[in-house]
Order: sequence, then C-alpha cells, then structure tokens
Amino acid sequence: MLKLMQNEWMKLWSKKASWMMVFLLVLILFASAAITKYVNSTANEGIEESWQDVTAAQLEANQAILMNPNLSDTQKDYYTEQVAIAEYRLANDVQPFEFTSMQQSVLNTHEMLSLVTLFTVIIAAGITASEFSQGTIKMLLTRPVKRWKVLTSKYLTTMVFAVLLSIITLLATALAGLIFFGIGEGTYLEWNGSRVVEGSYWLEAVKFSILSFASVWIIGTFAFMLGTVFRSSSLAIGLSIFLMFTGIQAVFLLSNYEIVKYYLFTHTDLTQFYTGFMLIPDITMAMSLTVLFVYFLLFLGISYWTFSKRDVTA
Amino acid sequence: MNGKPIVRLQNLSKTIGNKKIIKNLNLDLYPGQITGFLGPNGAGKTTTIRMMVGLMQPTSGDVLIDGQSIKTNFEESIQKVGVIVENPELYKYMSGYKNLLHFSRMHKGIPKQRINEVVRQVGMENRIHEKVGSYSLGMRQRLGLAQALLHKPQFLILDEPTNGLDPAGIREFRQYLQKVASENGVAVFVSSHLLSEIELLCDRIAVIQNGELIDIKNVNELHHSQYYIQAEPLELAEEVLAGIGFSLARQDKGLVIDTEEQHIPGAIQMLVSAGVKIYAVQPYRATLEDQFLEMTGGGQIAQTHAK
Repeated sequence: MLKLMQNEWMKLWSKKASWMMVFLLVLILFASAAITKYVNSTANEGIEESWQDVTAAQLEANQAILMNPNLSDTQKDYYTEQVAIAEYRLANDVQPFEFTSMQQSVLNTHEMLSLVTLFTVIIAAGITASEFSQGTIKMLLTRPVKRWKVLTSKYLTTMVFAVLLSIITLLATALAGLIFFGIGEGTYLEWNGSRVVEGSYWLEAVKFSILSFASVWIIGTFAFMLGTVFRSSSLAIGLSIFLMFTGIQAVFLLSNYEIVKYYLFTHTDLTQFYTGFMLIPDITMAMSLTVLFVYFLLFLGISYWTFSKRDVTA
Repeated sequence: MNGKPIVRLQNLSKTIGNKKIIKNLNLDLYPGQITGFLGPNGAGKTTTIRMMVGLMQPTSGDVLIDGQSIKTNFEESIQKVGVIVENPELYKYMSGYKNLLHFSRMHKGIPKQRINEVVRQVGMENRIHEKVGSYSLGMRQRLGLAQALLHKPQFLILDEPTNGLDPAGIREFRQYLQKVASENGVAVFVSSHLLSEIELLCDRIAVIQNGELIDIKNVNELHHSQYYIQAEPLELAEEVLAGIGFSLARQDKGLVIDTEEQHIPGAIQMLVSAGVKIYAVQPYRATLEDQFLEMTGGGQIAQTHAK
C-alpha cells in the first residue's frame, strides 16, 4: 500500500496544477493579511478605543444573549465561559490579542480552510477520473494489485494532500501575520472547567483547524465519490463546489423539519459547538460526528462498489 | 505443441444488456508461440482481450493463466501477463523513467536495475528522462513495450499494437516480438486489423466473428502448395486436369490447382498433348486477406479497412 501511495504522490506532484495550488494558497493568505493591514490602518484612523471598552461591550452583549431562554446547553456553556473570561480580563487587567497581531491571525486560521476544501475537491475529483480520461486506467488495473487497493491508495493520498495543505495554511498564516502585523500585545485565556486560566493560542488554533478539517474531509470524500462514479472530474468538481456553497443555505430552508438533523451540511461545521453560533440549536457534537461518519461510509461504499465492479471500456 | 498451454480460455462468454457479445470462446495459447487474433470490427476482439486481462468481468466461463483463474486469483494470474491495450496510454506529464518506476512498484520484487535493463532492451537510454508528452508515437510504443516486459511476463497480450506506426517501426516491433517469443518462450497474443502484418508476425491465427471463434490455423498450414495455370480453352484444361485427379478451382482467366512441384511437368505435358495452349504456370499463394474474406464472408472487411 505504501508503494501505491508513493506512486500516487509522485503523479500528484508531477502535475503543475498541484504546485500551482500550493502557490495560490500561500499567495491568497499573504494577500489577505496585507489587505487586512491596509483596511485596518485606513478605516480606524482617528478612532481611539481601548480594549477595556471593547471587552466591556462584548461582555454586555453576551450577558444579554444568556437571557435568551431558547439557548441550547452547548450555547449556554459557551456564553457563560465567555462572560467569565471577559470579567476576568477586566478585573485583572489582562488584555486580549489585538485584532491585527500574529497571534489573532493564527487563531483565525480555520476560517481560511475553505480554500483547502476547494483545492482538495479538485484533487479528489480528478485523482481517479483523470486515469479514465487519459486512458491510463488500463495500465493501472492490469497489474497484480486488486482494485480496492488502488482506490484506497488514491483516497489516502488525497487526504494526505488535504492535511498537508491545512498545515501549510496554518504556517503561512502565522508567517504572514508575523510579517504584516508582528507579535502583538495580549494574552490568550480559556476556561479550564472551573476557572479562567492562561492557554496556548497555538493549541487552540490547531484544535479549531482539526474541527474545520471535518468539512474538508467529508466534502473531499464526496468529490472523490463523484469523480470515481462519473469518471468526469469537471462534473465532480462543479457539483461538489456548488454543494459546498449552497449546502449550508439549505439548512435554513430545512430548519423547520425533523430531516434537517440528518442532513449532511447541518453537521459539516464542527466549530459551531465552540463559537456559540449554531445552525440548529439542539444538535450535539456526538450526533454530528455520527452523521458525518455515516455519510463517509456511504460515499466510500459507493466509490468502492462502482470502482471494483466496473467494466473498463475507456 | 510445446506441451502445456500457458493460457486457456474456457467457455468465455460476455453478455451486455441482452446482447451476447462473446459466445463460448475456447482457446489455448502455448509458450513461444505468437497467435494472431483476427476479426472484423465489432466481432469482439477487444472485449475478449479485456476479459483476459481483468478489465472486464466475464459473464460466464473463465480465463486461466498458468492454471490460475483471472476471476478468483486475479493477483496471481495477472502478474504473469504483460499488457499493451491499444496505444500505450502513459502518464504524459512524467518522464519515461518515472512511468516505468511507477509500474515497477506495482509488481513484487522488480529491482531498479531491471528498469535500466528494459530501457536498454528497447533502445531508449537517451530519452528515458524526458517527459512522455514529448515522445513520438514510435517512442511511446517502445515505452509501452518496456512497461509490458518489466516483470518478465510469460504471456504478452497486445491489442492493435502497430496502430499508427510507420513501416520501419512496425518491422522493428515485429522482430522484437519474435525475439521475445523464441528466446524467452513467451506466449504472445496479438489482435490486429493489419492482415499482412499478422501474416508476417504470427505462427498461428485465430479468427473471431460475431463473438464466435470460427477458425484456428497454423500459418504454415495456410501456405500449402498451389499452382496457377493460365490456359486456353479453359474448359478443356479443366477436363484434362480433373481427369488425372487434381483438385482445382477457377480463378480469373486460369485455374488454381492443389499439387506438389514434382507433378507440374507431367501436368503440362498432358495439357499440351491434349491441345491446350498454356500461357503461364506459376506458384500460387492465397493471401491471408483472401482467406480472411472467405472465412468471414467478406462484407464487413470494407469497414475493417476504413478504421
């Protein structure tokens, strides 16, 4: 299996498009940091606002939200923690990170992972489909290797690529933050279950990136399935990206029906359990993971079934 | 011949929808022998070959390679097979060497030096590190052969291998295949539309039509001794020759008779003394094309050439 993955890896990086993706990813991350710096310096001219004012305003807003009787338990916990942290900051004079600081950029890394989803979809859709369109599938499947092994090597390679892009995203964001903003003032605080303590923003960034990776993973798997079943990468890419953008909207349309709980895009954003903003209030992490896993099995099951049964006529 | 067959097709059948594409094909292939696979378009050549290499599932029947079933022991049986299905489709964005490296990793125990050995064998040392996209068709064909020979297969299967090669390329390719067959005892199975090519290359010919194997012949059997006699009046000549027991057939302005060299002077004497005017006597060889047309009933050959 390692040799097969080595093959896929070699083919992947022999294509200029893959290098282009990495280049684009880094370029976009640097550009967005540069734009943020520019916009921030022009828009905030003459506005003098201390962090105390901002934190106090947030504290007030969060307390107001907590009054809402419709909050789920997850949300209640989240806002209670936020209130505790804000009170601690004000009482002990502990400043949060400035908005334009390397640390805050790192904390926001996960927001940029939709780029990784985009690139992963392109690779996942093409990795099997391109073998069919080039005709190389005939060379690939007349080897003493069972078909499911070939497909597994392709799937794993796609996922390794996705993880690699995520790591590049995290590192490039940090580097861009360092170059454009520098290390800013402030301390990262978190609730350890009983009290407010100082925490590592790196760990927090990695945690959020892993949560966001669930979306990369499941949409990548979806694109992989389409590419394998339809043998057309353009169809697979188009459909996956269309769903990536419209899928979430459909959650709101479906929100009054029970079925929304089993709908894939209700669950793709796992960070919702840690940001207070939930698409559907009464879902839990365990439920989301279960639904995602069932979809994952379904997508892969269809891929393997069609790939190993198909008569190759290309 | 040569003892045990290395490849056996056993009642191989394929049904797509409700159409029977391949009907109960039985065929044995032997080590060191080159078998040509002929048939008009749509006769089922490509389907048969795809079933032999596991690209398509037989509806019923089986293919045994060295005793191992392609259906149940895919990995064991296919590792003895080298395949070129139509024009070798390789990864254009990688060098020839990386392509070979890629395929060598899919077999067990192919050392790096084997790659260099095969590259030398097909004479590609100078350009192996260039991208396949920059190769000519002839070069690609050679690389295709190299990838098929990497794992020293006992059975080589080729679908339309000379498509698009120039005459020099075809000749080189033919000599190469014959060398592999005779020196390494490899069984070779070649499908092609180019009848003259098959005639030069193969020891044996299998003809398929409408999914059925209609004939298997050894090539030297095809060339039994025949003579063409152009004479006048034809009816008299016919009468005389039939009278002394020659089997004959009319052809253009003369007769084709089945006979050996030593009987010719006698036959001429008989004809002359009977008052027949003889214009020409020459050895006659039916081309494979004639025989092929005869076997498959003609009609579809025009289509075959059109491809």
